[in-house]
Amino acid sequence: MTHTTDDWRGWVRHHLPKLVLSPSFAVTLFFVYGFILYTGLLSLTSSRMMPNFNLIGFENYSKLWQTLNWQVALNNLAIFGTLYIVICGLLGMFLAILLDQKIRGEGFLRPIYLYPMALSFIVTGTAWKWFLNPGLGLEKTMHEWGWTSFKFDWLINSDMAIYTVVIAAVWQSSGFVMAMFLAGLRGIDSEQVKAAQLDGASAVQTYWRIIIPQLRPVFLSAFVVLAHMAIKSYDLVVALTGGGPGNATEVPATFMYSYTFTRNQMGVGAASAMIMLMTIAAIIVPYLYAETREQRHD
Amino acid sequence: MASLEIRNVCKSYGSVDVLKSINIAINHGDFLVLVGPSGCGKSTLLSMIAGLDEITSGELVIDGEVVNDKHPSQRDIAMVFQSYALYPNMSVEKNIAFGLEMRGVPKAERDKKVESVSQMLQIGPLLKRKPAQLSGGQRQRVAMGRALVREPKIFLFDEPLSNLDAKLRVDMRTEIKKLHQRLGATIVYVTHDQIEAMTLATRIAIMKAGILQQLGTPQEVYDTPNNVFVASFMGSPSMNLIPATVVAHQNSVAARLTSPQGNELILPLPQPERYQTWIDKPVILGIRPEAITDMSSAEPNNPWVFPADCQVDVTEPTGADVYVLTTLGGKEIVARMRSNCGAVVGQKTPFAFNMAKAVLFDPQTENRI
Ligand SMILES: Nc1ncnc2c1ncn2[C@@H]1O[C@H](COP(=O)(O)OP(=O)(O)OP(=O)(O)O)[C@@H](O)[C@H]1O
Ligand SMILES: [Mg+2]
Repeated sequence: MTHTTDDWRGWVRHHLPKLVLSPSFAVTLFFVYGFILYTGLLSLTSSRMMPNFNLIGFENYSKLWQTLNWQVALNNLAIFGTLYIVICGLLGMFLAILLDQKIRGEGFLRPIYLYPMALSFIVTGTAWKWFLNPGLGLEKTMHEWGWTSFKFDWLINSDMAIYTVVIAAVWQSSGFVMAMFLAGLRGIDSEQVKAAQLDGASAVQTYWRIIIPQLRPVFLSAFVVLAHMAIKSYDLVVALTGGGPGNATEVPATFMYSYTFTRNQMGVGAASAMIMLMTIAAIIVPYLYAETREQRHD
Repeated sequence: MASLEIRNVCKSYGSVDVLKSINIAINHGDFLVLVGPSGCGKSTLLSMIAGLDEITSGELVIDGEVVNDKHPSQRDIAMVFQSYALYPNMSVEKNIAFGLEMRGVPKAERDKKVESVSQMLQIGPLLKRKPAQLSGGQRQRVAMGRALVREPKIFLFDEPLSNLDAKLRVDMRTEIKKLHQRLGATIVYVTHDQIEAMTLATRIAIMKAGILQQLGTPQEVYDTPNNVFVASFMGSPSMNLIPATVVAHQNSVAARLTSPQGNELILPLPQPERYQTWIDKPVILGIRPEAITDMSSAEPNNPWVFPADCQVDVTEPTGADVYVLTTLGGKEIVARMRSNCGAVVGQKTPFAFNMAKAVLFDPQTENRI
């Protein structure tokens, strides 16, 4: 009798981690990889409002690339992604360098920059929508203060609306990038900085020639994080501009949603989703590969 | 080459006094070694000489000029750090040339200087490598090259050999010594290793808790330590410090020690006039292990060698010599004898005390009498 309970206990102890992990493993397998495959399959079918399994080859893809909206979305992604990554990276690094000067109140300043990251993009988008709305936010305030010629209507200007998305996204993410750079800066041996001082390098030269080159891994990580956030950005655009005015701020993610779920073009939507997946994979897979290879080297 | 003078230098971090009124002066071409227990302020003093740390009070004088307010880059000082602090993103060549580049030395001249320094340090084949691709000893050489190439007035070394293995350490020590002799440079060198200190230094400064305990030549520091701390800090095995009493003895003065058996041992002291006022008072007798030998290794014509039979507690052969331990004045003491001296544990053996090398300390203040 006791013998069998001992056996049972041993079995449980041995298998408990697997038992605990297996539901989440199954769920991940099904909802992530299962649905990737399912989307891939749908992109090859003539699904419109409802999924069907009528295979039509790569027709959806060729239709996708001929869609003007998709081209606008890609164009916007190029503008948004480039500016977002570059500005966030530079601003984050700049803030990190400023904070690294052993200034007083660092403990107070650092969270101020980081808090935006704690907000969801929906909140950020809504807040900036109010702030940038000419009839509600900045412009109205300036007019009330007597600066009546002040004009800032990017939000409703179809040429400029995409830049408001950049502003809001940079506001949200640059603190996070700053934290990454700050960690990198803190990891640099302070004796190197002293050696550079004795060598006669100015502060700018020290950063430019010695410290920033050592932050390459941080640049890479920041790039990967920001790039995939840029490609999958959906909620911010929806909350801030709703893809508008017109389709001026359409990005691949909003395109995918509207074609799949509201325009009855599920096949084309699925195809656009696959393109996004492949783009992200093209960025992340080499990164992961490089990371793991580096670990094996160490 | 330059002279260096540290005048009443103090350093505090907030309410903590890390350095208390340090006074050190060295000449052109001196090799000053700073030693002391961990946390006594050696690195702090070095940083202040370099200008990397601000001086709280006092003056730092290089070549007769007060340099307190000069930026590190203008003091013409080079430093070799404990971590070497090589710039990991630059090749060895660029590392060495960086200081020259920052000072606006033209490329052709830079190349020539790097070439000659790399020849001197035998790092020519490594010039194109990155620091991560070097061994510890090679990195150490590059760090030295970076300092040498600038031909500064003063070199500072902060425990440059502590990351190396024992063999390499000895080699590099010799090389630093040769380098010093060849360049005649003024060097300030921090180390924990007292063999390094004794072999390299022309002057040694011993510090403890931010206070300078003694400044002198290695021989002075070794033979006539200012206090008990210096006596026990320098030398390995360290100086025997035996509780004793000064007594009048045959018109002169002697130290009286007691063995565990209760026997008294009277050892006459040189310079009796020094100890007149100490008669019948307790003192600490300091005598180095190598001043206590077997009879046949004792200097035969030295009138201050006195024999005494002592019980052997332990023998520790080191190959060349044997350390023989006995107990005197309630303290274990070490004598250094020839390996074939015939000392047997548990038996009595004659010990020869060379009292010319003995020093006395005040047991209260622990200063030398
Ligand atoms: N920035 C600082 N703030 C406060 N105290 C400091 C600071 N830097 C050093 N100290 C203190 O100053 C003392 C001397 O430090 P220092 O680094 O000079 O010691 P050291 O003699 O070089 O020791 P080690 O042999 O371990 O290198 C230590 O007690 C240390 O705690
Ligand atoms: Mg130190």
